[in-house]
Parts: sequence; C-alpha cells; structure tokens
Amino acid sequence: MSTNSKTLQITPDADNKGQKTRDYKNKAKKSTKTAGEKVGVFICRCGGNISDKVDIEKLKSSINADFVEDYENLCSLNCRRHIREEVIDQNLDRVVIAACSPLTHLRTFQNYADPLNPYMVEMVNIREQCSWVHSDMEKATPKAIGLTQAGVEKVKKARPLKKIISRTEKSAAIFGGGISGITAALSLANQGLKVTIIEKNPTIGGNMVKIGKVFSPEKLAEECSLCILNPIINDVVNHKNIHIMTKTHLLRAGRRSSYFNLILEKDTSFVHEDRCIACGNCVDVCPVEVPDEWNQKMTMRKAIYKPFSQAVPDVYTIDVENCIKCGKCQKECNMNAIDFSLKSEVISLKAGSVIIATGHESFDLTKRPEYGYERFDDVISQMDLARILGVNGPTLGKLQKISDGKVPKRVVMIQCTGSRDEKTDGKRYCSKVCCMVALKHASIIREKFPETEVVICYTDLRTPGMYENYLRYVQDKGIQLIRGRPGEVSRRNGQLVVRVEDTLQRKPLEIETDMVVLSEAIEPSQGTMDLAKKLNVGLSQDLFIKEKHSKIKPANTDVERIFVCGTAQGPKDITDSVSQANAAAAKVSEQIKCGTEAEPPVAIIKTSRCSHCGKCREICGFKAVYQDEEFMSIDPMACRGCGACAGVCPEDAIEIKGLNDQELYAQIEGLLADKKEGEVRILTFLDNVGYTAADTIGNNRLTYPEAIRIIKIPSINRIMPEHIMFAFNHGADGILMAEYPDECMLEAHKAKIKELSEFVASKGIPADRLRFYKAYAPHYRGLAKQFEDFYKDLSAVEATK
Amino acid sequence: MLKKGMDRRSQNMVEEIKSDYKASADLGLKRCMQCGLCTSNCPAAKHSNYDPREMVKMVLDDDQEIKENPDIWNCFYCYTCQSNCPVNNSACQVNQILRETILLEGGNNERIVEFLSYGYSYMDFGVGAIPSDFFDALVKDFGDHYIQLKINLEDIREELGLVDYNLKGESLDEIRNILIESGFKKRLETFQKQGES
Repeated sequence: MSTNSKTLQITPDADNKGQKTRDYKNKAKKSTKTAGEKVGVFICRCGGNISDKVDIEKLKSSINADFVEDYENLCSLNCRRHIREEVIDQNLDRVVIAACSPLTHLRTFQNYADPLNPYMVEMVNIREQCSWVHSDMEKATPKAIGLTQAGVEKVKKARPLKKIISRTEKSAAIFGGGISGITAALSLANQGLKVTIIEKNPTIGGNMVKIGKVFSPEKLAEECSLCILNPIINDVVNHKNIHIMTKTHLLRAGRRSSYFNLILEKDTSFVHEDRCIACGNCVDVCPVEVPDEWNQKMTMRKAIYKPFSQAVPDVYTIDVENCIKCGKCQKECNMNAIDFSLKSEVISLKAGSVIIATGHESFDLTKRPEYGYERFDDVISQMDLARILGVNGPTLGKLQKISDGKVPKRVVMIQCTGSRDEKTDGKRYCSKVCCMVALKHASIIREKFPETEVVICYTDLRTPGMYENYLRYVQDKGIQLIRGRPGEVSRRNGQLVVRVEDTLQRKPLEIETDMVVLSEAIEPSQGTMDLAKKLNVGLSQDLFIKEKHSKIKPANTDVERIFVCGTAQGPKDITDSVSQANAAAAKVSEQIKCGTEAEPPVAIIKTSRCSHCGKCREICGFKAVYQDEEFMSIDPMACRGCGACAGVCPEDAIEIKGLNDQELYAQIEGLLADKKEGEVRILTFLDNVGYTAADTIGNNRLTYPEAIRIIKIPSINRIMPEHIMFAFNHGADGILMAEYPDECMLEAHKAKIKELSEFVASKGIPADRLRFYKAYAPHYRGLAKQFEDFYKDLSAVEATK
Repeated sequence: MLKKGMDRRSQNMVEEIKSDYKASADLGLKRCMQCGLCTSNCPAAKHSNYDPREMVKMVLDDDQEIKENPDIWNCFYCYTCQSNCPVNNSACQVNQILRETILLEGGNNERIVEFLSYGYSYMDFGVGAIPSDFFDALVKDFGDHYIQLKINLEDIREELGLVDYNLKGESLDEIRNILIESGFKKRLETFQKQGES
C-alpha cells in the first residue's frame, strides 16, 4: 500500500465525520481549554530520503504519543490539509514534526499546524541529523526513535507565545544638516514622518556648500555644488514635516521602549529668528571683525553675520563669543530682532529613531610641520584651494597666491597628508576622496589658468570605478604625476621647495614651486565622538561611528533604532554619503511602517525582582538592555535571546521566552533516556551557525557517530551549570558546545566558557568531557571531525572501564 | 623570469631583519609602500647615491646584492627616515642590521676600522668619544667653534657645575669587565686584525 493512498484514507476514518471541515477557530479554543498534553507526531518519509535509512513502521510503533502518522512528503501543500485536520479532529494541542531541518521548514510547519500556536510545534531533524549521516537502518532507526521521543517530551513543556510587536514612534531626529542629514530627512519627511534636523552650526548645508565644485565621473566635468544642493535645501526648509534646529546640540539622551528622549540645548544667537528679514543693515555697523570660517579664515567677517549669502535659515546670527554687545546692531535693526537678553534654551525632543549624520573634520595640518602649513603663506589645504577657486570665495574664483596675489606658475599637490600615516596623530586609513579632490582642482586650474602647471605627488592614485575615467580626463588636460611622498616643504630664496623622490625613476627631486596644496585627511569630528558617547553608540578603531555590520548592516549602529550615514561613519564621497543616507532613512521607515515583530527567543525582565544592578546591561553585546527611568528594560528588537543576561542576573529576574528551562531539561533527558549499557552518548549544543554547519554535514552526506545528539540553542550563554550537571547526571558521556564567535559577544562567550569549565572542574568531572568549538557555517567538515574525535576519545575511555 | 624574492628560501632577508634583536617590535618593513619619503628627506641620499627606499626594496626582494652595495655605508644614523616613515618602517634600522650581517659574514671590515677607537674609548674612559681621526673633518665643518669647544670643554663644564664625565675606579673596572665578558673587546680586536690585513 502506498503511503500516499494511506494518508488519504485517514480523513474519512477520523472521528468527527462531516464536521471536520470548518470552524477551526472554535475548535482551537476548545482544545486549548482542555489544555492537556495531547501530542501528535507527524513523520515525513521525504520521498525515501528518510525512509530509506529509517524503518518508519518501527519508528511509528515505538513512539509514545497520542497520535502518530507518517506521510510521503510532509511539506507538500496536500499535507497542509492533513496536519490541520488532524490537529482539529484529534484535539491535538502539541505537534511534533519528525522530518528535516527546522532552519528550512519550521515556519512551514508552524503555518500548517495553524490554528495551533506556532510555539507548540517542535521539529525533529531525522533527515540531516539522522538518515543522511548514518550508514544503515540499524544505526539510524534507533536514533530516529530517540530523537522523536525527545521531541515529544520537549513539546509537552512548550508554552504558547506571542510574537512581540515593537512599535516605534513615527518621528526621527537627525544630527547633522549636511548633505547626508538633509537627504535622510527629506526621504523620511516625504514618507510622512516628523523629522527634526539638529545642526550645531548656524546654517545647514555642511561641507558641500563650501567646496564650490564637485567632481562628476559620469559627465567628466566639475559641477556647481551649491546649484545641486540649493533646491534640496529649499525642499527641506519648506517641508511641513521637517523642523530645523540650528546652533543646537545634544545634552543627554534617554532610551525608552519605542523612542528616545533627547534633551537638546539651542545656543542663543541674540537674534529672534522669526523676526529677522536678513536685510543685513546690522552688519555694516558691527565694529568687531574676526576670521571667517566660510572662507577658511582667509577673509574677515563681523560678529553679526550670515555665514554665506544662500545660508539656510536665511537669518543673521551673532557669534556670541566675539560679540562685545555694543548694541549698535540693535539700534540699526528695524525689526527689533536683536535681543541681548536671549538665553540658550533647553528643549526636550521625543524621537522614535535617531540618525547620526554629523560628518567629519579635516586633519589639522599643523601636525605635519615639515610641510609648512601656517608657516608659509602659500602652503594651503585642498579646502583652502576650494574656497579660492570658488566664485563666491575670497578671490572670486581667481587662483592667487595668498602671499602676493599673483597667479602661481606652478602648484604642487601633496597627497595623503595625514592619511595612510602610522605616525603620531596620523590616520592609518585612506581618506578615499583626496585623489579625486586633487584631480578636480587640477582640472579647474588647467582649464581656467592654463599657464599654471600642476604637479601631484602621490603614493598611490586611488580612482576606483568610474573615477578612473575622470583621472584620464584630467590627465588629458596636462598634469604631472610624480610617484613619491614628499618629505619636506622648505623655502629657498623666496621660493617654496618640495623635496620628493621620483620613485619610478629613482631620482630625488627638489621641485621649486609657487604654491603647495596639501590633501588633508578626513578625520572623525569631536562632535561625532561626543554624540556617540551620549547615545552610547560604539565607535570604530579609528573613532568613526561603527556600523553594526560593514557588509550587511552598513547604516545600523550597534544601538537599535540609531542609524548612521555619511562621513560620520568613515571617509566617503558625496555619492556614497547620499546612498547611505537613503539606506538609513529606509531602515527607519521599515521599522515604523511594519511595526516590527520580535520573535522568541527573547529575554524578559521581571521588574518586580530586578534590583537594577546593571549586570545584564554590562554583558549584553547587542546593547539590548537599557535603563528606562529606574527599571532595567530589554529592547526585544535588539535582543537575540542568547541568555547571557539571565546567566549573570543575581536576582533570577530574567526569563528567556522561547526556550524555557522545562523544555531544555525535557530535551536533555529525552535525548539520553534510551541510552543503553556501554553506549557512549554525546550531547551537542549548537547555535544557529553551528546548527547550519551540522545541516550541511547532512547535505553533503558525510557521516558521524550516531552517539551525537544535537540540541539547538540561541547561544551557549543560554546554558547554565545546572543544565550541564543535569546532562551528566542523566548519562551524557560528553558535552560539546559549538557557537559562531560573534564579535560583540566575545567577552560574554569567554566568561561563559570559563564559568562552565570551572564548574565542571569543581564537580570533579574530567575536563575533557566538556568541549567548546568555534563553528563556522562553511567549515562543516571541521564540525564533523569534532564529532568524530570526541566520540573516539570517549569510546577509548569507555573501553578502559 | 621570477624575481629573486620569489625563490622561497627558508628564511629570507626580511625575516632575518625582522627577527633581529635590533629591530623594533612593530617594524613596518613588510608594509613599505615604496613612497620614497625616506629618500626625499635623507641627507646621505642628498650627498651620495645612497637610496634608503631602494635598499628596502632590495631587502624586500631578498636581493642579496644589496650587501655588495657600497652606498649603504653612507647612512650615518640620523633617524630622519625612521621618524617620518608613514608605515613605521625604519630604513635606518634595516641599514644597521644589514651592516652588522655583512660584518659578521666577514666583509667590508675596512669600513669599521676608523670607528674602532670609538669602541676602545669605552675601555679607556667608560664613555664613547669621537674618534680622533675625525678631528680634522669636524674642524673643517664647524671651524674655530669646534676647536674652542675642545680646548675649553673642562672650563665650560666647571662653569656649568658639571662633574667630570670620565668614569673612574670601580665604575670603570666594571664597564671594562662587562665589555670583556660580553665579547665586545674580542670583537673589536677581530675587526682590527681583519681590517689591517
């Protein structure tokens, strides 16, 4: 009789004839009310994949459960109906699926078992962990029985769980009003979120407004940056969902379950922004002159000023540090906009998500005194040159030497100043944009001032992707490239001299020149670091904001609902900054739109028992634990349910939903219950990666001893000494724990391994009976060898008994 | 044709140098990107054919011919290359270790003979003293100022309240013993013999 025809016969034979079709909901309610331990076991033959190596009839007859049946292909849609009908007809309230790996099909069967609560479904892997890795029926069948019966025992202890819906407030705070910040702000505002841009400077626009021209590898041209940016800035200003706060910084931040409480300070500018009409009358009468940051301090501005003519917000501001409060501007202002009694304000802001877009700073070139910045007038930075070449700059776009106003005959650019530099204060990384910046300026100079020669001294020219085309375009304009890193800039007879070795020609050179331009490194800003500290966001080794994962989570930080984009995260060009800003915005929106669900396992704190000691917060590498007012809280979205917190909690106040202790004990006991005299049994605890590797062993039909019995856990941190003791007491000969060494939990792992090893030693159990292994998904052969070796060692011990 | 560096010897020059006790623990030799900053600043390179970048290149290529190159003896240990190198390499250290290897292999001993009196001065006074052979050259470079300094050194030190810098008695004996026991004296004598022959 074929299995298919048999399974089809079951339906008419079932008890509640004719009724079985509908009314699932009521049935389901009824069955949970009777809340017994009525377990149904569904066995899959997997088209021979399982049944060729496992004696299904024997398996069926050996399992102690309320309902046991086998099917040819349990994952087929046809069986969806069978499972559902049996759940209802047999009043099953727990289900065991003895089939393949839960990694691939748990969701399928949770769905098939509906209306049962999905956490009342247990999968037993008799394919990857049994029929595919054991050579014959004699070995595989008893193991399949053991695994399945353990699954039955485990599922009896299962408790129905709900998915945890995490709501995020529909608002965002964006720190930094540069191109990254405003890009993210616009995207979110267009999607209906309330967005606040918090900018420490008096105007938004960041570095991009200053640089004048941007390089465009596609058009092979330099484009006007303000012309590109201005329409975007106007959109931001006019957007009903965007609020801009300038001269504002974060004082402190509090984390809550669905939002951040940000306490901001808006510095006073002595100006009522709503009254100022930007007429500029105040400027003429102001007696104070200070160097103007907008022009890299090459020109002067007044103490009352507008940073640049297209500044947004379009209001005048007073530089409080330098203002002498003489009151002249106040008299001149017809709008009564100036008020010296205005104080800084402290503002509280609730934001569902935070985006850090605080940008970068330029390397302090005086830290490389050998290049003479600030010692020689005509040694300038690329940003200085950008301002000089800018039509709204100090020379209105005319290339001039600062010393005498003449057009330089030769300009030498020095790349990697402060970048790729292991010396004190240097940056080890490549600043990524300087090669293009130098080429851009070389291109503008060659175009507008063809009499001026441009020499670029480089170590390596890094013009990846389309920028290689741009390099060729600029080379065609006639520039000189010298491969060598200059050691010194000096002055001889009024001329600057750059000493460099032309390394391609093996020729030390002394290049006489009128102007030297240093390509300054991009470095993390102090503001970014301060902000990170206040938000408890992690920094990289180079002190930029660290992304959660450089490949797959490039816009997330290590704190849930805080994102990063632009140069706050590392050196990058405008294109990449904008891409990352859009990615950050998409991530914010994703969380809000979908009302994200956290699935067990997750840790829950019983507030009544919590003594606020903070140990859980310290150990959690996922930064899921935070203090909400007085209570410790766990963000279910950030929690992986690894159990590290529960292990360190002195009050036993943390529970792991999704793999409770009763389930764990039942599974351990179940997997050891059928152990025979003289047999060796190894319990193996595997995290997701370890489990994947074990599945892959099966996929590749490698074999390992049937003594190996696997328990899937979220992390070895879930395992407490009492679990280990319980396993040894119930007959485990060896315990293997394998886990992927996740960077952010390394410390917790080490502590756990130490704790368990010491515990085992204290109980006089030979240290070799508890082993730890680092699992890597592609290195499944390594795991198989571990299984093999462990079994061999333990068998040798057993043999000596 | 394969570069010499690609022949896999059991231990090449790079490893020999990196494991030498004189090399800094984090010597960036393998990270050298041949930028030439060392050469651009090197006073020896300015006045001779010595090229520290090229020397490092040959070491990285495991090109033994660098040991035959007379230019490497022009480095005078000013350490400018070391203080500037962006990858924490030190051409200067590489040079020192190379020279020592060459000397121990028995070559180029004549180059060290004129420095031997510097070594002997430790035996005689317990401190290093500029070899007398260099006196004329120093006078030529520094002029009268140098002669005056030499003549009046004792007075100047007395005026500044500084004690005699020569070691005496037990201290000097101790230094001598160390130099003898450690084989320093023997090595000086070996170099002297080889240099003279």
